Amino acid sequence: MISPAPSASRGLGRVTLDVRQDLSPWKQAAFVGASLIFGLAISIVILAVAGIPPLTLASELAGVLTAENLSGVLVQAAPLILVGLGASLAFRIGFWNLGIEGQMIFGGIFAAAISIYDIGPQATRLVLMGSAAALGGALWVLLVAFLKTRFRVNEIIATLLLNYVAMYFLFHLLYGAWQDAKTAFPQSTPFRPFERLGDIGYGVNSGLLIAIAGVLAAGWLIHLSRIGFYTRFISANPRMAKIVGVPVQTATIWIIAASGACSGLAGFVNVASQEGRLTQSYANGYVFSGVLIAFLSRNDPIVIAIVGFLIAVLFITGQTLQVFYQIPFTMVQMIEAIIVMAVASSEFLIRHRIRWLR
Amino acid sequence: MASALQLVGIRKSFDGALALDGASFESQAGEVHALLGENGAGKSSLMNVAAGLYAPDAGSISIDGAPIALSGPAAARQHGIGMVHQHFKLVKPFTVAENVLLANPQPHFASGIRNIRAAIEQQVGELKFSIDPDRRIDTMTVAEQQQVEIVKVLVGGAKILILDEPTAVLTDAEAIGLLEIVRRLARAGTAVVLVTHKLQDVKRFADRVTIMRGGKTVAKLDPRHASAEELTELTVGQTSALPERSPHEGGPTRLNVGTLCYTRGDGRVMLDNASFHVRAGEIYGIAGVSGNGQAELAEALIGAIEPSSGEIWLDGTGDISRAGQTKRREAKIAAIPADRYAYALAGSLPISDNLAVAQIRSGRYGSVVKLDRAAMRQDALAAIADYDVQGVRSVGQKASLLSGGNAQKLVIAREFSREPDVVVAHSPSRGLDVRACAAVHQRLIAARERGAAIVLISEDLDEVLSLSDRIGVMSRGTIVGEFERPADRQAIGRAMVDHG
Repeated sequence: MISPAPSASRGLGRVTLDVRQDLSPWKQAAFVGASLIFGLAISIVILAVAGIPPLTLASELAGVLTAENLSGVLVQAAPLILVGLGASLAFRIGFWNLGIEGQMIFGGIFAAAISIYDIGPQATRLVLMGSAAALGGALWVLLVAFLKTRFRVNEIIATLLLNYVAMYFLFHLLYGAWQDAKTAFPQSTPFRPFERLGDIGYGVNSGLLIAIAGVLAAGWLIHLSRIGFYTRFISANPRMAKIVGVPVQTATIWIIAASGACSGLAGFVNVASQEGRLTQSYANGYVFSGVLIAFLSRNDPIVIAIVGFLIAVLFITGQTLQVFYQIPFTMVQMIEAIIVMAVASSEFLIRHRIRWLR
Repeated sequence: MASALQLVGIRKSFDGALALDGASFESQAGEVHALLGENGAGKSSLMNVAAGLYAPDAGSISIDGAPIALSGPAAARQHGIGMVHQHFKLVKPFTVAENVLLANPQPHFASGIRNIRAAIEQQVGELKFSIDPDRRIDTMTVAEQQQVEIVKVLVGGAKILILDEPTAVLTDAEAIGLLEIVRRLARAGTAVVLVTHKLQDVKRFADRVTIMRGGKTVAKLDPRHASAEELTELTVGQTSALPERSPHEGGPTRLNVGTLCYTRGDGRVMLDNASFHVRAGEIYGIAGVSGNGQAELAEALIGAIEPSSGEIWLDGTGDISRAGQTKRREAKIAAIPADRYAYALAGSLPISDNLAVAQIRSGRYGSVVKLDRAAMRQDALAAIADYDVQGVRSVGQKASLLSGGNAQKLVIAREFSREPDVVVAHSPSRGLDVRACAAVHQRLIAARERGAAIVLISEDLDEVLSLSDRIGVMSRGTIVGEFERPADRQAIGRAMVDHG
């Protein structure tokens, strides 16, 4: 149905809303882009009021994008892209996976277990750690998938609360069996060099390769594969999907597992590149980032790569501003929120057309 | 005497598509004025303009000769225009009085609801309805809900009452009851506008009729002086009769439903040992007053619900009453559900995807690894041409943008693409215009000729009578009688009511 037109008649004419029949992807992108610019403009004004003139901001941004800082951005981008993928896959079938942090933690734990128990030859050690991490993340989310399909447990609550279970299990390991004996800090012994994701040249960390592989795999899964076709029906009309013969349950389980695997890989990338060991905080804050990236990219894997990169730029810039201009980190979060709201409102313009009638 | 409601030269487009192209309409106080036309002719759009829901791009509206501008539904209500929509606008968990209050806001809730209750009692008394203001909407039948809608607009002081397809959801008897009420309202001085695509309603109850086609007003006449053929001709151009059917040959039993039972979540027994069988090349019609388990029977047959006990046995496959979807699909069962957008289409997805989804597993549209979009596109274009699906700008267009009849053709195109052995059709022509309805019936007959076993569940007795080889009458969740073709309408009617 067309929504009723809320209109005020003042002689000049009135505004009516039409539901758009369809809009080309390019025009949709233009709307999102314009809203993004609008959100950024507001953010620039706020930062200017807070004492950072736009020119300084521009030079800081340019600084972040120089060759030496760019590698830092890319290291940050890899896990962000992976959690974005994890969130988006689950959202595509209406499974609200807010357990990204828990899945990252289990990804890290599984990867670390391979290192700690010295499993497999050195040459394939990283591959094994990565696979174990994906498996760990997948298993942790499948627990909830099982609870949801079997007992109709709400996955929002279950995934969110299991983050704490995962976190305390991690603490249990780090303060107990896996504690670094040498330093007595609550972290594992460092991974050996062949267990770490190193640079692949030009200052690019190999974690980024995993993220790019994830983007390509998810892109294939969603856009080209049969299971991607099924997911569109499952999210559009699950009842109908079942009746026309879509294997709803099987497809759902696989997509949820893939979602957990992506988050698990993000955990692996963090422990094996930045940290070099299992720490307490390598998963902190990624739920919000994952949801944000998935939302801004409208669950499209290719767009997630771009948005993940931009969020990484924002993070690194935010850190710089924090250090050099005493801007509180909440300011960075506020800018994030402003951008989210701007993009969210673009959705309205994509769905509706505003017309001026005389 | 000035017209109670007059619309002149109304134009309205939706995102470039012209829905109304200079349409006109006028009705007098004290008359029942029918607005007749096919689906998509623009009847509902025109009345939505009158009710203030749509702002017209051009044209004028006047009431009692005075031009007015409607800024919204509230303004229309102030001018005494009330509309009962085809899909009721009622809040299900609220009571009658609360719903009426919601539409007619009062300054204070407590005193408001008292005033409203008094107003409802008065209207209910005048109309001889039996509605308790304190009953919740979700405990009421469709016919009662419609009465609530009517009371709601009358309490608001409507002098012009617009009813959009009011008989579409009613049984024969209920429809006659409603139309008598409408006549009574007109006698009391209300201008009643009856939006419909049913010729019968127009012939029997309207004083005048305005006919629309393609967004334009094509004729205005007195239905008592026009033959049904003339009216049909004006509405659709031409109609096609049902195709010839070969005499029934009585093939082997294809489908056997045995002592099927189903108890709803709230404990109500909806299917109570329902049993019947359908042979190959036979249309088995199921008639009955709505709410006697037909919906649940259809849902059990298409696999939307799992029966509590009993069997649905298919020749060559066995019992599928609790089978998974894979087994059902292999059994080549075609499902044409009553609620297309709930059970048969994903409205937000492209037409081509909606057509391809049922056969995606067969590998026709590419392997597990790679979809074959070109094949989907090609088949979709062929199906759209074959089944005469109108209003398709591209196969990538959302299915929800199709009108009811065309959406139904899309469902049938998909379901029949696999040459099904068994067809389950529930109210397949509900809400369709004459031409779309004929097309659907032709497809069912064609499937019968091909040797499929067809279950036709419909609350439209005419539909059941004209198509079925045998008719089972359903009442209180079970088949209470069976009739061979040609069946006696009166006898079926009695069977429907006696047990109900």
